[in-house]
Amino acid sequence: MRGEPGRRFRFGRATLEARDGDSVLAAVARRGWPSFVRSVRYHRPRGPVCGLGDCAGCLVRLNGRPNVRACRHAVAPGDVVASENSWPSVRNDLLGALDRLLPHGLDTVHGLRRPAWATRLYQRAARRLSGFGRLADAAPAVPSSAAVVASCDVAIVGAGSSGRAVAEAVGRAGARPCLLERRAGAGTPVLASAELHAGTTAAMLSPPVSDGDRFSLLGFGPAEAGVLVRARSVVVATGSYDGALLFEGSDRPGVVTADLAVDGPELPLGETVVVGGGARAAEALERLAGDVVAVVAFGQIGPEVVRAASALEVPLYPRSRIVRALGTRRVRGLEVARRDGGGRFRLSASTVVLAHRRLPNAQLLFQAGARRSWLEAPGAYFPDLDASGRTTVPGLFAVGSAARPAGGPGVSADAVARAALGARTESVASPPPAAARDELLPYYRELLGEPRRGKWVLCPCEDVLLEEVERAAARGFHGIEVVKRYTGVGSGLCQGRYCLPEAILLLAVLEGRPPTEVGFITQRPPLVPAPLGALAALAHDVGEGTVP
Amino acid sequence: MTFARPEYRAAIVGAGIVGLYTAYHLARAGAGPLLVLDRGFLSSGGSGRNGGGVRQQWETRSTVRLAREAVAAYRRFGRDFGHNVWFRQGGYLFLAEDPGELSRLARVNEVVRSEGLPARLLDAAGVARHLPGIAPGAAVGGAYLGSDGTVYPFPAVWGLYEAVRRLGVEVALGVEALGVERDGGRLVGVSTDSGGVRTRAVVNAAGGWSGELSRRAGLEVPNVASRHEIFATEPLKPFLDPMVVRASDGLYFSQTVRGELVGGLTVPHVPGTQRGVPSSPRFVTSMARALVGLLPRVAGLGVLRAWTGFYDDTPDGFPVIGEDPRLPGFVHANGFGGHGFMLAPSASRRVAAAVLGERVDLDPREFAPGRFLGPGAAPTAERLQLG
Repeated sequence: MRGEPGRRFRFGRATLEARDGDSVLAAVARRGWPSFVRSVRYHRPRGPVCGLGDCAGCLVRLNGRPNVRACRHAVAPGDVVASENSWPSVRNDLLGALDRLLPHGLDTVHGLRRPAWATRLYQRAARRLSGFGRLADAAPAVPSSAAVVASCDVAIVGAGSSGRAVAEAVGRAGARPCLLERRAGAGTPVLASAELHAGTTAAMLSPPVSDGDRFSLLGFGPAEAGVLVRARSVVVATGSYDGALLFEGSDRPGVVTADLAVDGPELPLGETVVVGGGARAAEALERLAGDVVAVVAFGQIGPEVVRAASALEVPLYPRSRIVRALGTRRVRGLEVARRDGGGRFRLSASTVVLAHRRLPNAQLLFQAGARRSWLEAPGAYFPDLDASGRTTVPGLFAVGSAARPAGGPGVSADAVARAALGARTESVASPPPAAARDELLPYYRELLGEPRRGKWVLCPCEDVLLEEVERAAARGFHGIEVVKRYTGVGSGLCQGRYCLPEAILLLAVLEGRPPTEVGFITQRPPLVPAPLGALAALAHDVGEGTVP
Repeated sequence: MTFARPEYRAAIVGAGIVGLYTAYHLARAGAGPLLVLDRGFLSSGGSGRNGGGVRQQWETRSTVRLAREAVAAYRRFGRDFGHNVWFRQGGYLFLAEDPGELSRLARVNEVVRSEGLPARLLDAAGVARHLPGIAPGAAVGGAYLGSDGTVYPFPAVWGLYEAVRRLGVEVALGVEALGVERDGGRLVGVSTDSGGVRTRAVVNAAGGWSGELSRRAGLEVPNVASRHEIFATEPLKPFLDPMVVRASDGLYFSQTVRGELVGGLTVPHVPGTQRGVPSSPRFVTSMARALVGLLPRVAGLGVLRAWTGFYDDTPDGFPVIGEDPRLPGFVHANGFGGHGFMLAPSASRRVAAAVLGERVDLDPREFAPGRFLGPGAAPTAERLQLG
């Protein structure tokens, strides 16, 4: 009941109290730094990273169901939450010894072949290490047969400021848009002019085949109901997210993105180092004020950060390289080197907040086939657009920070709304205008030239190491599509959101060619793991016709 | 891109599992300079898009034998090629939903057993032992062979790629074959988007694009590219050993070494390669419904990624192996109908023999390209329609 404190739930052996609206992550974090799961191959300790439901850092077994993201599930009284992939406990996991026994990881491509008689043993051991949770104890108590089917002229994905602005403009024009928002109720103002589906994740977008057809947008909503929206036009306003940064120990608990630290639930951060020198770093500095002990940036540090830091008397370390995160179960500190040839030094910290680059959440556009172009800063692919936000897919639009980098010229919500309500036309979409030069590519070039030790986990979802990618490159397996298949990088639970942007830059260095030649992966649906039950419930409504 | 030589003994079109294996056998036989062409990147076609199933349960004895040889090759693959293909003999479980289906499986079972393989027919309880969590009543019985299994396809492609290059084979990626060059009735070269090159033989191992290539060479063939979709779920700890197949809707799935459930289901598609390989809501939702219906406990499991590839289908469902009688030097290694990966190690030996003009120990009525030519169309054998 609203406003009433105290919802008891079990977490391992403890009984905890959650407050109203608490996610499992928020409720567990009241007790201390939350640990839920060990990593897949080497059972390294992991912690929450993104707070968005994308990373594999907060998986739990919830009421007998595996691989539930603690940050996405609102606690219900009586919930039973258990850690996964660890024994006897997530803190003291015996298989954690693997991490030390295999300092260079497992070579799954060439290794574990000899002696031949041991193949079955290897198979069994490797299979045991894979996966996170065990199969659900039982079928869901309530069969997830509920489906929500909606039809509208304009579907808008994302109810942030850009999505709302488009929704309002569509409403002013006398039409009623559908608005899908991944976040549940709290904090999402209800728009009178729109049919709002809160707590609904868009997972797959299928463009119309002929001009009279509609887009099919598949997703899942609260209680995992399947959601199918048919729309004449689709506007993607999914915003942006904070990217990862690779260094030794960048997968350690306590290394988080600003999405979690700035916009997520209250966490016991302790001494915090903010990474980045731009607007997002300034935001992190203001929000986490008392906890911040230093700002480290691989490039220059901008005036906003300098102002905020000087008010707080926080030291700044521009043009610095993070050598490694100290600590195992939680970050204890950072070892940093000045890039200009200065010495190395250590910062004591229990949290590292990555606020160095915002990346567009443009996956839905690319999955639907929109053409994209590489933009050096921030080092990401953006959709090609015309002035009204039209992509190269007729009827598909992009707006806000999913469309263009913040700070530059954007797309006007009114123009998008007008175009989305108008006739479907071919666009004369063009690439985003180049702004600044990429600072991360030279940074990684420098980094790869330095001696390294320890594990550099490029893909924390699947425990893929930088070494594996280097090995692939050295053997002549080039391009991100091939390296993805060779190493598994980008094929984990986050669908490559956190490793692919880094992998592209690293491959550009290793292969000695520009990132555009390294390529990009075909964006596969669903963009977010979509529950089988929710998709199954939509089979009837999707229909039985021949796939064109 | 230009080629290293002006002339090759054979140009193999398609750097997938069939093309690379063929190149390997030819190189080992000392055939002379070899060229492998592929329009895409390594593993961009069917060899990088399949479910990795390797089964010996087939409805004809000759195919059982080919498959058996392939199983032996995948068992040895790690030793032969230095790459771990994670071949796991967890069995293949065919489900029967009604007694009629079960008796069909029984007939196939007879064929498999007659080749000395211990395939078994199961009742509902036997099925449940191999498929924990199966919904009550979902199967009346099934057929099972424990030595069938699954491979992880990618390392097989990498291993062969490195092996053929070590043997001196030139592999040109991103080069598309546009047709063949003839001198009179004789094949003398292959034309590509990077120019022409002389060769005495062209092997059409182009998978889903093989029909197109044959037609570009002026040869009418019945091969049809058909799109098939597949998806993978979030990884779980191992709970499922066999590859599970259901004939009625073409459902198949297994749990990979990474813990993902990977599988597909047949939904009707417009044939041809022209519309590319998008995933469809039709497939994703039908496949989800089929899986949840069969294994209700997976309902909460997330689908991680879906993708699509082409089967290279023939009218009788059997591959086309051998030289085209209309154009000496043009050798077919296609029409695998989604089974290229499971038959490649053994089928490619016969392809290599055909290139070298040696005897091919396969019944021409079952495998030779000539069976689709002339007035009497080949009889269609009873098929277990599988993914």
